[in-house]
Amino acid sequence: MAFEIILPRLGWDMVEGALASWLKQDGEFVRAGELLFSVEGDKAIQEIEALDSGYLRILPYGPQPGGEKVPVGTLLGYLVPQEQLASFRFPGSDLPDSLKQETESMKGVEPAGVTAQGQVGTPSDDDRKRRIYISPFARRLAEGLGVDWQMIKGSGRDGRIMAKDVEAIATLLKPEAPVTAPSSIQLTPPVQPVMPAPALQPASSAARTVMSPIRRKIAEHMAKSAHTTAPVTLTSEVDATELISLRKTLKDDVASSGQAVPSYNDLLAKLTAQALLEHPLANARIEGDEIVQLATVNIAIAVDTDRGLIVPVLRDVQSKTLRQLAQESATLIEKTRNGTVSYEELQGATFTITNLGMFEIDSFTPIIDLPQCAILGAGRIVPKQVVVDAGAGRVEIRQMMFLSLTFDHRLIDGAQAARFLQRVKKFVENPYLWLVG
Amino acid sequence: MRAMTFTEAAREGLAEEMARDPMIFVVGEGIGARGGNFNTTAGLYDLYGEWRLRDTPISENGFTGICTGAAMLGARPVVDFMFLDFELDALGGIINQMTRLRWMSNGQVKVPIVLRGGVGIASTGPHHSSNLFSLFMHLPGLRVVLPVFPADAKGLLKTSIRCDDPVIFLEHKKLMNLKGEVPEGEHLLPLGQASVVRPGKDLTIVAISYMVIETLKAATLLEKDGVLVEVIDPRTLAPLDIATILESVSKTHRLLIVDEDFSPGGAGAEIAAQLMEQGFYELDAPVRRLNGAFVPGPYSPPLEAAVVPNAQTIAKAAHDLLVE
Repeated sequence: MAFEIILPRLGWDMVEGALASWLKQDGEFVRAGELLFSVEGDKAIQEIEALDSGYLRILPYGPQPGGEKVPVGTLLGYLVPQEQLASFRFPGSDLPDSLKQETESMKGVEPAGVTAQGQVGTPSDDDRKRRIYISPFARRLAEGLGVDWQMIKGSGRDGRIMAKDVEAIATLLKPEAPVTAPSSIQLTPPVQPVMPAPALQPASSAARTVMSPIRRKIAEHMAKSAHTTAPVTLTSEVDATELISLRKTLKDDVASSGQAVPSYNDLLAKLTAQALLEHPLANARIEGDEIVQLATVNIAIAVDTDRGLIVPVLRDVQSKTLRQLAQESATLIEKTRNGTVSYEELQGATFTITNLGMFEIDSFTPIIDLPQCAILGAGRIVPKQVVVDAGAGRVEIRQMMFLSLTFDHRLIDGAQAARFLQRVKKFVENPYLWLVG
Repeated sequence: MRAMTFTEAAREGLAEEMARDPMIFVVGEGIGARGGNFNTTAGLYDLYGEWRLRDTPISENGFTGICTGAAMLGARPVVDFMFLDFELDALGGIINQMTRLRWMSNGQVKVPIVLRGGVGIASTGPHHSSNLFSLFMHLPGLRVVLPVFPADAKGLLKTSIRCDDPVIFLEHKKLMNLKGEVPEGEHLLPLGQASVVRPGKDLTIVAISYMVIETLKAATLLEKDGVLVEVIDPRTLAPLDIATILESVSKTHRLLIVDEDFSPGGAGAEIAAQLMEQGFYELDAPVRRLNGAFVPGPYSPPLEAAVVPNAQTIAKAAHDLLVE
């Protein structure tokens, strides 16, 4: 019995994902436990082990690597035992492999073969890759208008292509036509484009690309936050001179021991966790009509990657030592940057810290990552002249930094949030205070 | 033109034909001095007497057979069954003899008969509510005529009486009191010519018999939602004017068939099949049917209301088809 390879569920609320790449070749023998393929979930790429042994047969009409998202459970291929390899057929295929290849090469010389084969009742290879439903009238219309209907995603039931979809695309293809298509029309990349894809763009328009799964997720998430929260941003300038000297001390200490040096983000996470324990309403979320105060502080750290913004989570920050945090965050950020962070490592944050200091940003208005209550933005640390004693008229050069706290006014009020930010400021200016707890 | 009811219009057509041709006579239960259960012959007995308005005992097989013989010999009988359901008692002779004699005699014998009867669910219970359209469509040699509007009732009955082959003329009981303008004098409508009773562009609805009226109500509802449906009354199911339906679907690309009669093997199935055969590449969606429930007509008014399509269910079916 051939073993089915399906898109796995990587987290309890994952409903779809994209096949990122195959790590084995079609036809290659795979042992159980070997890495077989990688999946791009909501924000992470994860490598998946083979659960059985056998010869890999990649479903020819299944999801393509780097393609669109498909539902969890989608069939990707088979692991076929050796004794069945000769007789193995993909379901729905009535042709042995050798014949299929012949059909494919024939199609190369005669594109009209799709229709001809359809008439004699043999499903063409194109049909098997992606079954497209189109009404007879829409198909006739498309042929008359010279529209490649295989590229159209229909607006009828179950994506069936109707005449109006064809007409909308035909309008879009005209150079003088308006750039925007009706919202119901989505262009999907063709499996085998008969018409070159750039032809879809009106001459005057900018380049179009399908959103990556990560970009789409970020877009959905940010828009949801912007539309549902009542965000207010408070900014406060803090004196980070002591924080810098603390970090220098730690750095000098761990340099000799060969361990990870706590970053400013690690220090901020630890100090913020302490402030959150004292102001639990900022470590809360709304669930229905209830406010849930969370017992642990899980702080998400915003990481800029070439695939987009990803926020891995440092767990139980309140009960971990700074050294543990430094070690964990270094690993987590490395995994995030190279795309191997797991789905679970991105879940369960109760608060987020985002740092734009390296880009010479002073203050900004971060967007709350729902369902969290607040997000803290750290600016750059710059030396400034500061009046340290107004009476004596004494001015010193101090290392100053802005903290920007965006909170959800649905959950907490301005004064409560201000008191929390004030507490963070106090910790940053006197970082040893958290030792007291 | 004057306004008159469906029954009055049909009766005027019958009276005009009887005045024109003395070979026309009517048989049936209570169609003499009583004027017919549905007033189909009211007043005619006084004009033409019992020789041409012949009351019969309850013996459908007998008097229908007599009429087949009379028609073979040159008469033009109109057999008034009151309810179509009663015709079933005469069906053997109708199918085996009446509809086949023209072929069996190599065209030498004509059987010009009109069989008429009330159809449809109209508070009439299981024994008086049959439609059975497809049963008659299935018989070669029989014309199946179902007028909806009074003018059509007159024009089609006159043509049916003049037809040299048997015609079954089906009058929905809910249409009998429907009023409408009716032309005076010679008004003849050809068999096999459908009528576009409401023009539209988004969806074609072919409605059969009384369903035309409900569909027109639905069309008014749908227009409020911005949907313009074209409503077609086929008027005769045999011969079936598929050309008019095809022309409409070539414009709207969607077809819904509304029929109070049952769905399996029904008139809608035949229309859908012919349209698919001749107009497949005009279809932007599957052809859909909306039929009466596949149960005998119930006697209970709430149940009766539930088994028959109405303006609301037709409008819903239209909406469903538009997003298909």
